[in-house]
Amino acid sequence: MDKPGPFAGRRVLDLSARAAQLPHALAVAMAARLAADFGAEVVRAPAEGADPLAMLPPLLPDGSSGLARFLLAGRSAAAPCEMRFDAAIGDSLALEGVAAPLKVRLSVFGAGDDPPMSELGLLGLSGILAAVQPRQGVPVRLGGHQGAYAAGLSAFTALAAGLRAGRPDTVDVSLFDVACWLNWKAAASVLLLGDAAASREQRGGWHTLPAADGHVCLVYMAKDWPALRDMVGDPRLSHADFATQKTRGQNLDALDDILRPWFVARSRAEITAAAQARRIPIGPVLSPTELLADRQYAARHFLARDGAPRLPLLVDGARPDWRRAEQELPADA
Amino acid sequence: MHDAMHDPLPLAGIRVVDLGWLTAGAASSTLLLDLGAEVVKVEGPNALDPFRDWVGAEAATDWWNRSPFYNFTNRGKRSVCLDLKDPRGAAVLLRILEGADVLVENFRRGILAGFELAPALLRQRFPRLVIVSISSQGEDGPDRDLVSFGSTLEGTSGLAALTGDAAGEPVITGRNINYPDQVVCLFAAGAVVAALMQRDATGEGAHLDLSQRELTSFLLGEELVAAAAGAASTRRGNHDPRDPAQQVVARQDGLRAEWSGGSVPVRDASALAHAADFTAGTAILRDPQGVPAKGLPFRFASNPPRITAGTSGLGADNHAVLAEAGLQEAEIAALEQAGVVATKPRRGPAA
Repeated sequence: MDKPGPFAGRRVLDLSARAAQLPHALAVAMAARLAADFGAEVVRAPAEGADPLAMLPPLLPDGSSGLARFLLAGRSAAAPCEMRFDAAIGDSLALEGVAAPLKVRLSVFGAGDDPPMSELGLLGLSGILAAVQPRQGVPVRLGGHQGAYAAGLSAFTALAAGLRAGRPDTVDVSLFDVACWLNWKAAASVLLLGDAAASREQRGGWHTLPAADGHVCLVYMAKDWPALRDMVGDPRLSHADFATQKTRGQNLDALDDILRPWFVARSRAEITAAAQARRIPIGPVLSPTELLADRQYAARHFLARDGAPRLPLLVDGARPDWRRAEQELPADA
Repeated sequence: MHDAMHDPLPLAGIRVVDLGWLTAGAASSTLLLDLGAEVVKVEGPNALDPFRDWVGAEAATDWWNRSPFYNFTNRGKRSVCLDLKDPRGAAVLLRILEGADVLVENFRRGILAGFELAPALLRQRFPRLVIVSISSQGEDGPDRDLVSFGSTLEGTSGLAALTGDAAGEPVITGRNINYPDQVVCLFAAGAVVAALMQRDATGEGAHLDLSQRELTSFLLGEELVAAAAGAASTRRGNHDPRDPAQQVVARQDGLRAEWSGGSVPVRDASALAHAADFTAGTAILRDPQGVPAKGLPFRFASNPPRITAGTSGLGADNHAVLAEAGLQEAEIAALEQAGVVATKPRRGPAA
């Protein structure tokens, strides 16, 4: 462990095991994990029934939960009674009767407005789901637990700010508001530009394309178009149908038909190298397994031996290890 | 700010210099502003925040002050326009940093060093300064110079590989969300507050090096653990192994997200913007002129969310900020004369 972390000396009560709904439990646990990573003593109150996070997928070959291993790292197992806390994080019900000067309270819409909700529902209501649209079929949820974990990041920042302020307070983190905050451009386009302009704005044409050995993300701005056109080198791309971002948006399928063979004939590495040489922001779709051997992640010591990501932050050039020593998981855990 | 309704905010008295562009940098600073900091946004006459030249900025006007998305994101900040490529401009920035607590930047790696403003140099010169560098890949490593937008990082972080139907192609969020650009703000703001707490205790600032790609992979941590154990997940669309009822399906009233415990509409942008729950929420608020502006992702009971100021025109605070940094009026006038300090860009809008 390095020198004491920013939250050293602060004790935080993690009420994720007592959350009535899964999105809340995941968000609370993410915020609490980060609190532990920043040096707080984090005590996870035991579940009163089944722990909602104990057996969540992905499951590991030994039958345990990969999610629990990642998300619940760094907690003390002590029972919370008789302890004094600087802050507590949980849903409204779990926080009732808890004596902590700072309370970070997760809900769907806000305090007292907490209907049954799934992560898929949050993505649907916030418009994020509609933005994740395959070429065919219905919109798909983002991989993992993005709706809940993003709320966990927000709760972490609120926790940090509340701890620094150092006075009694309650911070409400609405899972719905956080998802809408992430998706601000959709609603802002409508409110600032009008429905018609907003609809045009959504036609960006960014998607993935198959390569010889997987997929790449076709991502580019208007300024990158000449470089992309020249990289692919098909004379049909000089047609007026593809001259502006607007016409390319109107002719997406025809554009794809021209681009696709060039991409399919090359590996992700070849495509990425060619695009990067022209400063086009195209990159490969990498699987979690491939990331375990990623040279950038290895150079920055981002992943532990068991694949678990470390705190995604370097401080003065080093990755900090602020977790309290007695909360470290055993190396073989 | 302190009145009967509002306690001092957690970052009251903290001064932030914001070199942040677009969302990842600029919206991180906006969150610090919402937590009580004063934010001075510094742009160059040849290096505007690209959001100033975006859809809705009318070409025939002072377009740089009229971009809806720029104004939405940067409300409440003071604005200084200073040419950092000119050594006199870089010297002025150093004067401003003497009174600053936090510097936020998300330039391409190496740009700050090119201005003789490398984070390591700034750390030596201003030991109490908290510098946060937000980048695609981080400050070092073999891939630090790869060019990416947020959605590129959805591919390289593992998110795209797990998003989409099992039989279909991986899917990314695209231009409207650029997911890694959004989530990084939520984390960066907290990391800065934590670094300030550390400074409160030790007197020492820090350089925070934040890779958006790492954060996006962190938000898939369980999947990396599973992959390392030989139990990697694959894409499965909207299917949830714990809830076979979960699906997105077309019903008479449109697409719906359904699960065993409920069902909600799949909203598009228009439906979202006009929904009562959205309007009642905090994601978008109104500035004092009634213009929609970026809201807050949390609400402190001690400080109900509100936006206290609209957006400053480019360079509107040049004189005030430079005078606070100790420059005399004659010095400021000379810098203006030389074009190092400006109130408009040197170029026209992009075609």
